[in-house]
Amino acid sequence: MIGRLITLALSMFLAFAPQLADAHGGVVEEDDICVIKVNYLRAHFKIYQPRESGHEQFCEDLPVAGESVFVMEYMHDALQSMPIEFRIIKNVTGKGRFARMEHVAAIDDLEAVTVFYSEPVQEPDVYTLTHTFTEEGDFIGIVAARNPETGALYAAVFPFEVGFTGWGYWPLILGLLVLTHILYLAMSGRFRRWFKSPTPAALVLCAALLQASPAAHADEFVVTFSTLDGPPQINRMHSWILHVETTAGEPVEGAVIEVDGGMPAHNHGLPTRPRVTEELGGGDYRLDGIRFHMSGYWEMVISIETDASEGTVVVSLTL
Amino acid sequence: MRLATLVAVVTTMVVAAWLVWRWDALPDTWSDEGIAILQSLSLESLPPLPPDPTNAVADDPRAVEFGRRLFFDTRFSANGAISCATCHQPERRFTDGLPKGVAIGVSKRNTPSIVGTPYSPWFYWDGRRDSLWAQALSPLEDPNEHASNRLTIIAIIVDDRDYWRMYKALFGEASGVDTMFSNIGKALAAFERTIMPTSSRFDAYVAAVVAGNEARQAELFSEEEIRGLRLFIGEANCTQCHNGPLFTNNEFHNTGLISLEGEVPDKGRVAGVREALADPFNCRGAHSDDPGRNCPELEFTRTGPELIGAFRTPSLRNLENTAPYGHKGQIATLADMLLHYNEAPDAMIGHNEAKPLNLSRRELEHLEAFLSTLAAPLPDYVGGEEAEESIVTTSSL
Repeated sequence: MIGRLITLALSMFLAFAPQLADAHGGVVEEDDICVIKVNYLRAHFKIYQPRESGHEQFCEDLPVAGESVFVMEYMHDALQSMPIEFRIIKNVTGKGRFARMEHVAAIDDLEAVTVFYSEPVQEPDVYTLTHTFTEEGDFIGIVAARNPETGALYAAVFPFEVGFTGWGYWPLILGLLVLTHILYLAMSGRFRRWFKSPTPAALVLCAALLQASPAAHADEFVVTFSTLDGPPQINRMHSWILHVETTAGEPVEGAVIEVDGGMPAHNHGLPTRPRVTEELGGGDYRLDGIRFHMSGYWEMVISIETDASEGTVVVSLTL
Repeated sequence: MRLATLVAVVTTMVVAAWLVWRWDALPDTWSDEGIAILQSLSLESLPPLPPDPTNAVADDPRAVEFGRRLFFDTRFSANGAISCATCHQPERRFTDGLPKGVAIGVSKRNTPSIVGTPYSPWFYWDGRRDSLWAQALSPLEDPNEHASNRLTIIAIIVDDRDYWRMYKALFGEASGVDTMFSNIGKALAAFERTIMPTSSRFDAYVAAVVAGNEARQAELFSEEEIRGLRLFIGEANCTQCHNGPLFTNNEFHNTGLISLEGEVPDKGRVAGVREALADPFNCRGAHSDDPGRNCPELEFTRTGPELIGAFRTPSLRNLENTAPYGHKGQIATLADMLLHYNEAPDAMIGHNEAKPLNLSRRELEHLEAFLSTLAAPLPDYVGGEEAEESIVTTSSL
């Protein structure tokens, strides 16, 4: 009987849940990352309240009024070249969290309800702006980007709350309800009945997928390097001679070589962009512009392309 | 039986206490590897200043003297009261003690020290200039700094008999405005190339370690400072970026500092490198004195989103005298800066390269104690001794 009541409560919650999940307008959470969708253009979206909450990120609703920093990190390169306009209005649509573009478009005098406006500006790297909310309340953010070539206008609208109080104890209560229900199911033996008929077909499919994936890529090339002016030292720009051979020991000539690299432990690349500036013959290539700026473990990723084949070799070194 | 139990308990406690004490004890000596790292950080290892082929007068004593006078001259400003030394005050190790420089207006960032910067391939927090002389030109025309302009500046020099004589001896007769303006930057750079750090207690300690003089080591460094130094070159990962005798790799890193009140997060190097590449006074430009235009820094520099929010690693020498810290002077004290690194929070823009250190409060205190050993007397620079004497005279009056 209790189990039935819980199930009823849960199904009632689920009936409302889709609306809750859909309440974000142009801002959605994907894999724990907050994303704004300006038409098909996407950007990592986050808001900070540095004076109140330090480095804590918010996706849209903000705990208090005060200084708020909006950040959009582009996931689509096209946004780098588009002037972006940003407007914050009071949410007067009467639709609350479900306000959409059409509701915003229906507002007669947008200026009258605007609390913040930033002229279209092209930000090639990352879009940032700061606004200090003087009062709490319901707001709508409007982001518009215009394609400079086609003139097409892309826009995103997202309702948000300033002074958001959170869900209080509701998630905790719901969690307890779910837990109780699971315990009830476990005790009533229903789980056992569900799991009595396993599905070997699924396991076979997994095995087949594993077999279909390609074997580990065998290196086509062997790369060794020597330096022109003593062993590599940090903070000094220097040059390498790369020697490229096939696995059979034949020198590789006429290859197009590109080099990148970095420190995997620090999640950053090289401070410079080294380039092969000269082919010296006999499988030797001069690589200029290398500098390592930290001691530790470095990887140089060397991509080699010839008419016949291509491959990538990773050379690692510890400084 | 009871006695045996008592003896067993006491023995266990003594052994445990000894183990705890040993666990936390300092090793008596430095390993060869440790000594090598210490030496790499010592001022003794500072190589001679590399030449600047883009500046023909970089090491000309006449240019040094001309540049020194320009550096302290307040006439090159909109209100006649601002010189380079307004923000780069020699007695404050060429900084100003403020979060952001204050001249005609408030500048964009914290005033960096000039001491040792001639060694860097890039200038400014965001590296938006690629030579000392190109850097020296921008504040003169920055509306928040000197707020002057190249024509006015050239006119002042031509009208001043001494200056005009010094200018002509170095660069010849009047020529194009931009050429004359760049020459003024080159004289300022020649002076700035003489501003060098002086030896600190840390450098003396390294000398004592190398000499194996234990008595002298104990005299120079407390146990806390040695512990801090061991953390600095070890667990705290400081030497990843603060390496070499100037305690900087002169490269650009995002360390996730918080934005300054009322400002958006500073984009840093990603924008700075774009500016450096487009600067008409850069190494490839018409005013470089290098006929071959050999500009490896510009040629091989990295650009792109990895540099969002990245700033040039500052030297740690004289850290005590150069507060506040950070590109916006956001951090008031060393202790706060160490706390920031200990937590390494997510960056507001880009990604924080530092990882949380999770050091204890005591360990952070040790690090701070070590950093205080990098304090040193006023930097060396041409004319510095006379200036010091005048400071002493003024203060004794």
